[in-house]
Order: sequence, then C-alpha cells, then structure tokens
Amino acid sequence: MSRMLDETLRAAVRDLADGVRPTPDLAVKALGRGRRLRRRRRATAAGATLVAVVAVALPFVLFRPAPAPSPATPPVTVTPSPTMLPTPGPDWTAKPLVLPGGWIVTRAQARGGSGAGMLLDRARGHYFRTDRYDGIFPAPTGSLVAVRDLDRPREIGLFDLANGKTNWYEVGRALSVPQWSPDGRRLLFTTRQVDRFGFIVMKTDGTKKVHVNGTEGCSDFCEFTWTRDGRQVALPQTGESHGESQRDARLGVRLFSADDGRRTRLVPVPGDPAGPWSWSPDGTRVVVQGQQEPLLVETATGRVLNPLPSADVAWVTDDRLLYRRPLGSNDFVLADPTGRELIRQPLPRQLVDFEVTVAPR
Amino acid sequence: MADVTDGEFTDFVNERGDKLLRVAYALAGSQHAAEDLLQNALAKAYARWPRIRGDAEPYVKRILYHDQVSGWRRLSRRREVPMAELPERPGVCDSSHDSELRLLLREALRALPPRQRAVLTLRYLEDLSVAETATILGCRAGTVASQTAKALARLRQLVPGLDEMTTRAEVTQ
Repeated sequence: MSRMLDETLRAAVRDLADGVRPTPDLAVKALGRGRRLRRRRRATAAGATLVAVVAVALPFVLFRPAPAPSPATPPVTVTPSPTMLPTPGPDWTAKPLVLPGGWIVTRAQARGGSGAGMLLDRARGHYFRTDRYDGIFPAPTGSLVAVRDLDRPREIGLFDLANGKTNWYEVGRALSVPQWSPDGRRLLFTTRQVDRFGFIVMKTDGTKKVHVNGTEGCSDFCEFTWTRDGRQVALPQTGESHGESQRDARLGVRLFSADDGRRTRLVPVPGDPAGPWSWSPDGTRVVVQGQQEPLLVETATGRVLNPLPSADVAWVTDDRLLYRRPLGSNDFVLADPTGRELIRQPLPRQLVDFEVTVAPR
Repeated sequence: MADVTDGEFTDFVNERGDKLLRVAYALAGSQHAAEDLLQNALAKAYARWPRIRGDAEPYVKRILYHDQVSGWRRLSRRREVPMAELPERPGVCDSSHDSELRLLLREALRALPPRQRAVLTLRYLEDLSVAETATILGCRAGTVASQTAKALARLRQLVPGLDEMTTRAEVTQ
C-alpha cells in the first residue's frame, strides 16, 4: 500500500470518528445501566432472604377461601381465555419451577449474562444464586453448566453442580455464546474469528472439532444452532437483497453434520430457528424468526402455517408450544400451534426481567 | 464501598468517555449504535470495577472490540451498511472533488463489514501495529493484513476515484 493511500485511509477513519456527537450525560447513563445490574443482584438476594419470612404466611395466601360471589355478579360465561396459574410464592427456589407442559426453569440471568443468576441444582432439587461467572448455561440434562468469564474470552468452563468443580477448556477466538445439544453431551459455538467463520463442536471432555466454512450464504444474524436430533447444525441462508431496516430475506437454513461439518441439505424455511427446541418432535414443523415476525412453517415445503407471538419456543409435544409472552410481565404460556393460549404461568417477581432457560424435566 | 466505586467510575467516564465514544463511533458507524456499544461496554466494566487492575481504558476498549467483532452480543450485532449504488465517479479532478472523495470515502467506511472496520480503526485511529491489532482481535497478523486488503478492495470498489486521488497527491508532492 502506498504511503499516500495509507495517509488517506488514516484521514478518512479519523474523519469518520470525528463525526460523533458528544454525549453530555454519558457518565450518568453508564452508571445507571451499571446500577441496574446491581439492583438485580440485590433483588435476587432479597428474594432468597424473604423465603424464610414469608413461608409462614404463604399457606394462608394460597389456601384462603375464595370470596363469595356478589348477588349482583352477572352469570359466568365460558370464554376461551387461558387457565391462569398462580404466581409462584416466595419459596419458589426450594424446588424446581415446573412450567405448563412439564418443562422446568433451569437458569435465570440478566440479559447479556452480566450479574447474578439463579441456577437449578437438579440433584438437590433447588435453586441457588451465583455471580461467579459472566454467563451461565446449564445443560438440558445432567449436572454440567457451561460458564464463561470475560477475562477468559477464548475459553469455556464446565461447572459440575455435582462436585462444585469448574474445568476450563480453550475453545477458540471470537466465540458466540455456547449452545448445548439436546442430549447435553456437546456444546456448539459459532466462531467469528476474522476471516474464519464457522462452528465448533466441543464434547464435555473438552475435545473439539472446528469447522471453518465461511459465511456460506449468510449475510446477517449468522448463528449456528442445533437441530432437535442433535446430529446437525443449521445456518440461515440469505438471498441477494440486503437492508438495514429489517432482516435479510431467507432462502432457508443450511444443515451441516455436527460430526464432520459436511453440508447435508437445505431446509427451505423463511427464517431462523432459535435452537433445537424450535423443531417439532416429529420434524414436520419449525418455528422461525421470519423477516418481520415469528412464524410457524412446514419444514418440507417452507409453507407458512401461521404467525406466532414468539420465535423462542419449545415444542413440548407435537401439538403444544411453550414460550414467554413478549409483552407485559412475560408470563410463560402453553399454546397450541396456532398460538391459542391454553395455560398461562406467571414467573416469580424476581425473574420477570431475567432471561430464563427451560429444559425438559 | 459502592460510593467509592461510583465515584471512580464516574470520574473515569467523564475523563475518557469522549475518547471511547469516538472509537465506538468508528467501529459502529452511527451515533446510536456507538452509544449503545459503549454503554454496554461501560456497564460490563462497572459490574467488574473492583476486579479491574490498572487503567480501565484498555479493558473497556477490549470489550468494545470484542463485542463489535465477535458477536457475544447476539441481539445487538451490527453489520455492514449497504450502499444502494456505487458513488458516481467524478469527471474532473480538482480540490472540490478531493473533498467529495473524502466524503465518499467516509461513507464507504461505514459500508464495510464490522471486522474490516475494526481492523482499520485499530490501525488508523488507534495507530496500532499489525501485530498489536492482531493481538486485540485475537487473530494472526496475516489475517489483519488480509482483512486490510479486503477492506481496501471494497473501498476501491465503492470509491472509484480513490487511487486517482492518492496517486495524484504523491505526484504533486
């Protein structure tokens, strides 16, 4: 590169940086966001403290007799509204929080993974609070929890709830958050190392396979995810048109063998599955984030069956979906595939603003 | 203890915030995205403030580059800003066209993929060597060179007068 070109680039990059407008209240905003992390920690700690105090009063709240209907109350009519379950009491940490459909909450943490989180210890049957790590990702079965630490960006820790030990493994550079395979035996990472895009599959003994294959026809939201059988990983495929205002249109998702990284097939669905539980158990349907909204689609044809309120769903059976409502207090709902809510479960107050992970019981 | 941390943190942001925001802007390419990127990095730094030893600025910068390039921040990823059409090639060479080319070049930088923009930001805004850039981005020096070459090729495509401008400037010096 010529010296003048070098200087021209230097001037242009500085020109670009000079375009920034000062933010006079940067310190206040940064402090506010940082304090919110601390408040979440305090709220979680306060919740644990309240358990002993409120437990005495809880039975009276739960089992108090329903008030007698007023004579002026109009006759009750049957409506299609979902069955509303009670908000779990303050002692919810003492046992697994079972959601409609039988799945359980295994982890709750602030979005982005900062601050304290709650983890389910399956063997002991209760939750505990932890702030040792910057991200906690429990396996869907067993006692292992993948953990990350911003000071060790190339590594992943496997924290074993059974013995309290954490083993760290070097995975690679520029990693996505880890995703567990449905059987809890392997971890999947998208690697965005400069000029080396691909995926890494790591077993729980730390052995790994790196598959660098370039972006492979994906231009945005390029994240590898497991399929439900845990034998393949999926990468969204985009077309020619790109825009900033919305996601690029999807041609489908490309499947790769998790064992050897080879391409297997293209599933022509117009969006991105969030993870392995997005695929129906019988494999005929998948919930994806479409260009505009979450969609339920047929895997064989890509035909859109109907929109849904959330793309982050778990098929608990072939005709029931579990997801969090995107608005309000973000209750969990068990719905049919059309999105008709059948059972609604509010979360404990401490978890409402948290990102929650669920798994089969 | 919290008051001490808050005071130190506020002093740090007041002192270094503008400088960090400038880096974030070069990385993200827009005011809103830059503020979001920096706020997130600062919040993470605040959460770990007592554990940061020494100067916090390199720590915050590391988070900025890491978040921008690696995609840990899954929901907030930035990507290249497409330009609908190639900028028009100027027909006459004079100083006004040099200014125009500078403007076009600035816009073209915004259109680069985040990784290429991160490489150029480290090399030309922060004046780091290839080796230092590679260390921060967690890649080999050869990768920094290839990303720079790709960025340059893309800039040449977006700003057809780029070579003409630099060649002319060298001849007239």
